[in-house]
Amino acid sequence: MKKSIGSILILCTIFLFGWVSVHSQEEMEVVDNSVFDQPRRTSSLFMHDDHNESAGIEECHVCHHVYEDGELLEDESSEDSSCSECHEIDASGDMPGLMMAYHLNCKGCHLKEKKGPVLCGECHHK
Amino acid sequence: MHTAYDMLTGPCAWTAFILFFGGCLYRLIKMLWLVWKKERFIFSYMSLRYSLRSLVHWMVPFMAVNWRRQPVLTIATFAFHLCLILTPLFVSAHIILWEEAWQFSWWMLPDGLADAMTMVVIVCAGYFFIRRLVSPEVRYVTGPSDWIILSIVAAPFISGFLAYHQWFAYRFFTMFHIFSGEVMLVAIPFTRLSHMIISPFTRAYMGSEFGKIRHARDW
Ligand code: HEC
Ligand code: HEC
Ligand code: HEC
Ligand code: HEC
Repeated sequence: MKKSIGSILILCTIFLFGWVSVHSQEEMEVVDNSVFDQPRRTSSLFMHDDHNESAGIEECHVCHHVYEDGELLEDESSEDSSCSECHEIDASGDMPGLMMAYHLNCKGCHLKEKKGPVLCGECHHK
Repeated sequence: MHTAYDMLTGPCAWTAFILFFGGCLYRLIKMLWLVWKKERFIFSYMSLRYSLRSLVHWMVPFMAVNWRRQPVLTIATFAFHLCLILTPLFVSAHIILWEEAWQFSWWMLPDGLADAMTMVVIVCAGYFFIRRLVSPEVRYVTGPSDWIILSIVAAPFISGFLAYHQWFAYRFFTMFHIFSGEVMLVAIPFTRLSHMIISPFTRAYMGSEFGKIRHARDW
């Protein structure tokens, strides 16, 4: 009996950890900048879920995209990998470097929508 | 906010750059044309060797007698002009914006160094300001346009400094920074700031006349 309560507890903990790590974008408040060595700026504000809700973005692939032979695959997304897994610090060919990937994606949409921050310090808040 | 930003970084920026480059070209052509029309013989004075000799002497701190007369002013003048030209060309934020727009980038200064260089420009501008107020011989030749020109040059640096540190009204100072930078660009060919493009030629002419004709030095 004691043994099974123990294993249930262990299972619950594993489940909880799994749940937390899958859904951690809910708690995300900034974009992690630790992949940049010696970052020049503070990490950019970005409350993942709140942002996408108030901006009315439903599709994950708007940001978490998948390309094949230079073609954007409309109905696939890559939220299981971080941007830096594909985008290196330096650009290569059509593939923007990591900083440009963020700036073009984030600021690009804000400029197009005429909503959301465009000045450096509005995202990299001190 | 977005409309103002789009205006400042779109049509206004284009206008500023076109007026700057076009204006500089116009000033150069006008200068050459005037010399050609009025004092064509000057062209026969010109000598590459003596031009460069004079330019080198005036471009190295303390190499010309005049630079040795007022050491503090000389240091301020060199530090001011060096930082004034290098900081906007190599500060990281400008290069990042350039790359966003044109997929094209170049070497950038470490932010701490760019910050220090900005402070050098601001401190030197403050020194020139006070010098105009307190030094009688400078005050005597100072008119309203001198104050305006000094403000036009200082404004983008002061606002850029405040924007970088995000002190006071961040959005206002960032937008004002963009605007005042554009004003400065346009002012260069059309005010006495044109010494940026004209002075190398005046120097070359002086150097040539003194060296080749009078066999004397002009430094
Ligand atoms: C819409 C938001 C946004 C705006 C506006 C923005 N950035 Fe960023 N920037 C980001 C994000 C997101 C990253 C990825 C890493 C992070 O969180 O800092 C980033 C990364 C960077 C990096 C590389 C990481 C580092 O700190 O060295 C630099 C440098 C940078 N930005 C500078 C700027 C500058 C300069 C401006 C203004 C010209 C600017 N950014 C405007 C969102 C923004
Ligand atoms: C506005 C752009 C954007 C949209 C839309 C978006 N995300 Fe993200 N998401 C990000 C960024 C940026 C990160 C951080 C990536 C990194 O650090 O490399 C991220 C990270 C994540 C992470 C990893 C969390 C972590 O802490 O590592 C998950 C999971 C995720 N997103 C899921 C989703 C899902 C599911 C959707 C669709 C409902 C979605 N995202 C839509 C931008 C977006
Ligand atoms: C699975 C790999 C992969 C991941 C993960 C990825 N990208 Fe990309 N991304 C690419 C490829 C490949 C291209 C080049 C597309 C082309 O050939 O034009 C690209 C291009 C881009 C571009 C320029 C073209 C466009 O679509 O606007 C931006 C901006 C960009 N990525 C931002 C991001 C951001 C932000 C993230 C993280 C939220 C991210 N990418 C995650 C592979 C990836
Ligand atoms: C597809 C469009 C789109 C993309 C991509 C996008 N944003 Fe936004 N963002 C918006 C809109 C729209 C708003 C304004 C929402 C509002 O006014 O409520 C906004 C607002 C914001 C705000 C203001 C606070 C908030 O959460 O509402 C921040 C900070 C922000 N975005 C950061 C980012 C960063 C960082 C990225 C890139 C990782 C990004 N955005 C990508 C559309 C986008």
